[in-house]
Amino acid sequence: MVKFSRYILIFVAIIGLSILLPQFYRVAFEKSTRAPFIQYSCIDHDFMIFRSDADVKWTNSKGTKLTREVYEKKLPLMYTRQLVMNETMPDSINGQKINVQHTSTFRSTFRIKPDELHAPKPMLYPLFESQSGRANLEMPGNFFRITWRMEFIDAKTNNILEEKSRMFSAVLYKRGFKFPAKSINGIPTTRKSCDEGYLVIDSADQLFHIKMTKGVPFVRKVDLPEGMKFKTIQCVDFSDKLYYAYLFTENNELYVLTPYDYMLEKFDVDDINPDEYEIRIYGDYFNFNVITISNDFVRTQALNRDHNKVDEYMETRPTFEQQPEGKIAQFLFPAQLKMKDDNSSYVNFFLKISKSYSWLFTSLLLIVVQYFIIRQRKKKFRTEIIDLLIIGITGIFGFIAVNIFPNKFID
Amino acid sequence: MNAIECKNLTHYYDKKLVYENLNFSVKEGSILGLLGKNGTGKTTTINILNGFLQPQNGECLIYGENTQKLSPQNKARIGFLIEGHVQYAFMNIHQIEKFYSKFYPKWDNEPYWELLSKLQVSPKQKISTMSCGQRSQVALGLILAQDPDLLILDDFSMGLDPGYRRLFIDYLREYAKEKNKTIFTTSHIIQDMERLIDDLLIMDFNRVLAQRDVKSFMQEFKQFYLELENPTIDISNEDFVVNSEKVSNKLELYTYESEDTILNFLKNNGIAHKNFRQVEMGLEDAFIGLTGKY
Amino acid sequence: MWKSILYKEWLKIRWFAIIYAALGVLVVGNIFLKVQHDFEFSQAANYWYSILFQGNRFYEYSLFKFLPLVGALVIAMAQYFPETVNKRIKLTFHLPLNENKALLVMMFFGAFCLLAIAAVIMLLFTLLSLAYFPAEIIQSALISVVPWFLCGFVVYFLTALIVLEPVWKYRFLYLLVAATFVPIYLQTAAAGAYSPALPLLIVFGVLLSVALLFSGYRFRKGEM
Repeated sequence: MVKFSRYILIFVAIIGLSILLPQFYRVAFEKSTRAPFIQYSCIDHDFMIFRSDADVKWTNSKGTKLTREVYEKKLPLMYTRQLVMNETMPDSINGQKINVQHTSTFRSTFRIKPDELHAPKPMLYPLFESQSGRANLEMPGNFFRITWRMEFIDAKTNNILEEKSRMFSAVLYKRGFKFPAKSINGIPTTRKSCDEGYLVIDSADQLFHIKMTKGVPFVRKVDLPEGMKFKTIQCVDFSDKLYYAYLFTENNELYVLTPYDYMLEKFDVDDINPDEYEIRIYGDYFNFNVITISNDFVRTQALNRDHNKVDEYMETRPTFEQQPEGKIAQFLFPAQLKMKDDNSSYVNFFLKISKSYSWLFTSLLLIVVQYFIIRQRKKKFRTEIIDLLIIGITGIFGFIAVNIFPNKFID
Repeated sequence: MNAIECKNLTHYYDKKLVYENLNFSVKEGSILGLLGKNGTGKTTTINILNGFLQPQNGECLIYGENTQKLSPQNKARIGFLIEGHVQYAFMNIHQIEKFYSKFYPKWDNEPYWELLSKLQVSPKQKISTMSCGQRSQVALGLILAQDPDLLILDDFSMGLDPGYRRLFIDYLREYAKEKNKTIFTTSHIIQDMERLIDDLLIMDFNRVLAQRDVKSFMQEFKQFYLELENPTIDISNEDFVVNSEKVSNKLELYTYESEDTILNFLKNNGIAHKNFRQVEMGLEDAFIGLTGKY
Repeated sequence: MWKSILYKEWLKIRWFAIIYAALGVLVVGNIFLKVQHDFEFSQAANYWYSILFQGNRFYEYSLFKFLPLVGALVIAMAQYFPETVNKRIKLTFHLPLNENKALLVMMFFGAFCLLAIAAVIMLLFTLLSLAYFPAEIIQSALISVVPWFLCGFVVYFLTALIVLEPVWKYRFLYLLVAATFVPIYLQTAAAGAYSPALPLLIVFGVLLSVALLFSGYRFRKGEM
């Protein structure tokens, strides 16, 4: 039992140390690397690159150094206000006349990070009145959940609103909704131009559009290709009102859902994985820039307004593990344990095992050191084999742990 | 039958040797006093006996069981007084009696209340607020109530008034002899021990100086006084001299040898002296004589 | 016999346990006093909205977060510190009981008291929540609160280990280990974000319960 308690303490110390030591190391030695900002130029039909942390901040994809002014002029639909101020905004681009007011309607910005995807969901949402006849949206006094039915709960009394719940549930049921909902996606805020309700995935992976118009449920099933499943559906509220949402599928494709006709339109891009990459989508009058950013690369896929790919550019960047500091870290630590991860908002045990095996050398060295410690303490070698094994597997963490909780007396 | 048996005890603190191959035993029904200057290993021995220290080598058995792994039944037979009469100070005298009574089948609270009735303490007074002497009574009373077969008393006389100490020793000896209890004890005040113990074990740094019954020790261990004609003569290295103290020409000689042997030695070696006499010793004198003043 | 040990432990910790429980009730009461006030002043729906979508955690304030930690620390100190004054633990080890079992009974009693107090506080918290909030909000609140109480247990077990350890140098080292380990229970995170980590956090808590046997053993082997 005492032996057991010792191993538990060693185990706990190893956990604590494998969180803290690599964290200290990173805090001390990690260098920040910012992802470059890569945008497709509708002027040059080339990619313009902005590196905020480099000496040469503005270049094109061939590495030609640009001044800030030139750079901005290559991206007139991005830096419109600046160009207008400098009075260098072109009248026409690619043979098309540019009306600044008109083109800016087509400007859209979207971004999602993995930790927004992997986050606790609220499970309760407010259903706005989408045709209230008022200029501004108003916060309803109740919130809905979709479990075995669609239920509205009044916040003031914390009671279920039976009538409204029955009404909505009945309509959902009639439209073939399979309770409960798997995901509910919308823009639950009053600070948007208008309300388009929610896009809801039911338990049979069917997609529904649910909103409330004049107090009455509006439910519309969206036809999906066979077997299509989504990683996430992100509703958008852009000024061009061309899409309800960006939809990210399980096989890393990107779709948009159009209003009125409920068409799913595919973006001609690949490897759009919101589970692991930060994804930014910049739309303008001519193009979409679909940017994926991960630890080790940045990629921009440029599309035209018909969602066809016109060009793409990718740049790798060294991860921490590839930098000298990271290599030393992999030499020192067999693994790193984190309670929080860049790609998740959850608290969990995130174990990252060193990719190279250079830490084995450290382990071996520490086993030798421990061997001498054992000899100095005049302990029987046989009783310390497990300790040596622990050091072999957990390296410096285990070495510290077995010496904080010494094996004195225990045979 | 031995109540305590310690064999080949060897212990170091780091590299400092306390003792090597110490052997001793305590017969059932006898009272043994462990004497020694500070730092000679008294507390070490007590700790080993109570299972709070694992010796580097050797073992101690109490009623045949290794003290490192005493069974509960065996522990119930041992009454243990911690140095300084340490007890659960957050309890009052009723609570502590209630607490201990559940552990010992032979529990008899009469001696406990008898001892405590003489103290000026209120029933709800916590032990922590009591005087040193009062606390010692509580600790001793609890051990007596436990009615153990073996009593291990670490410096029991600490904090007791001289009169009370005397009373307690007499009571303890009477109690032990009447009920055939075994006692293993240490004390700072060696005078007290003389009235109490049957056997003694005198420890010095790294070794045992004497291990025998008190009576024969006191008979055989003697102190002689003489004044040397020639103060430069040094006989402290002679085999028969256990210890000697010399101030100018006045010599105190400690030995197990008889008066005749000493006188013969002096005569044979032509050592001129005067005022030769044997000095009567108490246990404390004998202890100092044996271990030296320093 | 074992009841007697419980009696001794209770004598040591009773006032601290009662104060901890009372403080817990006051803290929960205070939370809902504030909730009631906010319901009155900003509308209920807005208050719900702020919890669901703006990351407002109505129960999140440091007194509540650290109360189980402090409560456990105080109870562990009250229970084990008196045992180390003058090495009084010798008395317990000398009782006619198996030494490890005696320690485990002490630990179980302390942990049971913590559990009972945690149950009272959590129950009160849940019951009062039911009056104001729907199940979704309560559930994610509880997921956030549970690690704090688990932290209490871990702190209790580690404090027992540290206080009973006979050598000061090792006490300090154990304290360092505790300092690396305890924060995993106290991460700042969104409501409900702790859910995937909870099973392991519970397992670690349970495993650590026997930690005090280690320092108890070291004491009995004469480390000093």
